[in-house]
Parts: sequence; C-alpha cells; structure tokens
Amino acid sequence: MKHHFLDQYSNLRSPVHALDPRVKIITLFSFLFFVIFTPITQAPKFALYGALVFSTILISRIPLEFVLKRSLVIVPFVLLVAIGLPFLGSGDAAGSYNISIFRITHSALLIFLNVLVKSWLCVLSMIVLTATTPFPKLLNGFQRLKLPKIFIMILSFMYRFIFIFIDEFGRMHRARDARAPSLGRIQHIKIVGCMIGTLFVRSYERGERVYTAMRSRGFNGEIKLTRELEFKRFDAFFFASFFSLLILILVVV
Amino acid sequence: MHIPDGFLSVEVWASLWVVAILILVVAVWRTNKKLGDRHVPLLGVLAAFIFAAQMLNVPVAGGTSGHMLGGVLIAVFVGPMAGSIVMGSIFGVQAVFFQDGGITTMGANIINMGLIGTILGYFIYQSVKKAVKGDKGMIIGAGVAAWIAVVLASAACAFELAASGTSPLGIALPAMVGIHAIIGVVEAAITIAVIKSVLKTRADLLKLPKI
Repeated sequence: MKHHFLDQYSNLRSPVHALDPRVKIITLFSFLFFVIFTPITQAPKFALYGALVFSTILISRIPLEFVLKRSLVIVPFVLLVAIGLPFLGSGDAAGSYNISIFRITHSALLIFLNVLVKSWLCVLSMIVLTATTPFPKLLNGFQRLKLPKIFIMILSFMYRFIFIFIDEFGRMHRARDARAPSLGRIQHIKIVGCMIGTLFVRSYERGERVYTAMRSRGFNGEIKLTRELEFKRFDAFFFASFFSLLILILVVV
Repeated sequence: MHIPDGFLSVEVWASLWVVAILILVVAVWRTNKKLGDRHVPLLGVLAAFIFAAQMLNVPVAGGTSGHMLGGVLIAVFVGPMAGSIVMGSIFGVQAVFFQDGGITTMGANIINMGLIGTILGYFIYQSVKKAVKGDKGMIIGAGVAAWIAVVLASAACAFELAASGTSPLGIALPAMVGIHAIIGVVEAAITIAVIKSVLKTRADLLKLPKI
C-alpha cells in the first residue's frame, strides 16, 4: 500500500531538499525564535519574515496549495482566541470595531494579531522543514544535534512499524466494511475498540518477536546509525545568508 | 487541542518545557532500570501502535469526528512511566512532522495530552481498580480515567492560554471543557472497548509488569 501522509514531497529535488538536515533544523529554530520574540507592533518585520518563508517555499518547489492547506491546522485555536476577544484587554476601542456590545479594544486586537501572525509564520516554516526532508534524514539530523538517543531509537522503530500497522488497520477496515457496512454510533465505537485491541495484541507480540530477533543477532541496547551526513559548502552559505537576513531584519527594519 | 507556536507567553511555555523534560528524564531512567535493553523495541512498536490508533476516526456529532488520545490506554497496558515515554515521542513527532502543535509549545502539549493521561489518569485508574474488584474495576477505572484525563487536558490548555493573556479564562475554560466533556465520552468508550476486547482475547497482556 502507498502512504502519502508522510514524506509526500520530501523526495523532490531542489536546493532546499539538498540541504543538510542539521542546517535546516537550526535555521528553523532560529527563525521560530526571531518570530516569537519580535513584538507584534513592528509590522514591517513580520512582512519580511513572511517574505523569507515564502521565498524558501518557492525555491523548494513544494506546491503552495499544499503548504497553505496544511497551515490551516492553527484555525481552531485562532477561533478560540477570537471568541474571547470582546472580553479581553482594556483601553480605547479600536475605531471601526466599536459595535455597542462587541467592543473590541485596541490591545485585544493586538493580542489577536499576535497569535494569528506568529503561529501562521511558525507553522509555515515547520511545513517547509518537514516537506523537504525525509523522516529518516530528519531523525539523523536530530541525532547529530544530540537529541537523547532513546528517543531517536524509539522514533526510528516507530517509523518502521507505523506503515505496517496502518496497512493492518486498512485490512481490518475492509473486513469490517465488507461484513457490516452500516453501523450505529455505539456499534461503531465497539468495533473500533475491538480493532484497536487486536492491534495492541499484535503489536505487543511483534515487539517481543523483534526484540528476540535483534537479541539473537547481537543487539545490546545500542543502535548504531552509520549513515553519515556531510556538511557542504552550500549548507554553510545557506545558513549564513538566512541568519544574516534575520539579523538584518532585526537591526535595520 | 494541540497548541500552536505563538499562543503561549515565554514564561508559560518555557516553564512547561522544563516540567515536561524533568518528568520524561525520570521516566526514561525508571524504564531503563526495569526493562534494560528490551524497552527500545517494545516502546517503539507501542508508539507506532498509538500513532496508528490515533488515525482511526470515530464520528462524534454533527459530521465532526474525533480520534483517541490513548494516554490512559497505554498507561493501563504498560504503566505510567513507559506510557509517558511513548506519549512524549508521539507528540514530538506530531509537532515536528505534522504541525499538530508548535515547537515552543511542545512541552505544554506533551503535558496536557500525554502526561496528564499517563500519570494522573493512571493514578485515577489505580484508585478505582482498588475500590471495585475484578475486571469490572479495571473497565470502569479506565473509562473514568480516560474521561477525566481528556477534560483535565482541555482545562489545563485553557489555563495556559489564560496565563499567557491570549484568551480570558471565563471564555476559554467553558468552551474547551464543554467540548471536551463530549469528546471525553468517546475517549472513554473507545478505551473501555479496547480493554474489553483484550480481556477477551489476551487477558494476560493486562497483567504485564507496570513501569
């Protein structure tokens, strides 16, 4: 079976895809910090941050539509903040928004803009990172950046098994749909529960089998990932230029 | 209720990150001591299991659907500490790879949706199990714990937003808790159904040593 929920565009070819994952991770984190710590009142800075993200998206050749659709994940939280706005902040009403009951103050409006702009920019940049980097490469990057080994090992296991389990779920789904196409809600929950229960039993047994198989091949708790990353000249160039642009935005604008 | 970047103030997200890391360090240490080199394949496979289980959608109401969090479920199977590692890994992956939740807010999300279920939820489950004997206690305990964990998670999320000054508590708390009181029922129902089916097929797996 094919799985498109992960690594859909991460095997395209572009300068952004070719970057060392460590460089991408560090660049992303510095971008996040710049965005989070910039006061929302400095609008031009945010426009330039946005320009930076969108030009990276353009270079990476990921379809813009995909990125924008993906970025909708922040909507529920934006709505939650929006309904609280009339009750937030003090001070003068923001001009045109002064409608008798719904008196939205200037400071409340700033709070709203703050979460909207910052969360959107952050989400966009995260999408660029993951859409241009295959999962194993990204893990390798995190490993070289000294993320605790146990998590790297658990996650690489997870990545290997997730597809098997999703296929297994797919088969159970088909079996259910073939035998009981229309179910009430309670029945549905019961069946889903049984499916998850079955999957737990199978995955536990699989975990045991995998462990014995690894043990018999000399596993002693250490996983050695040998694929080396190489730091190219372009990586240094990319990071240096991206970071100096961020500094420029901070200082000049 | 994955909180994105930018919704929490620095004080809030930084302190929640510290708390999450401290708990996870203790969890890794305890699991290492009890499981030795067995823990890596087991926890990795279980993380994939919870991840896949979260992809199964259940209709909730009015055309919307939800999926389970699974924190209480995994803690009932393998114990609070091992469960915390599994949930921590899952929320990390969801934030980095699926943009479900931000990077700065990851500590908050791991605590809300993961650790509240695996640690507090497990505590509730244990207390109910002690009060009600037999399989019934196990089933009721898991259901109650799953519901409370979801509701507490939404309340924690509302408090964090309020403490950051992004949403007033008087709005965020009833909105979040109200919705999640219903979602919690679904979580509890699935958790119960899973435990019942495992009780029928491989009851011994519910008596594994808890870590």
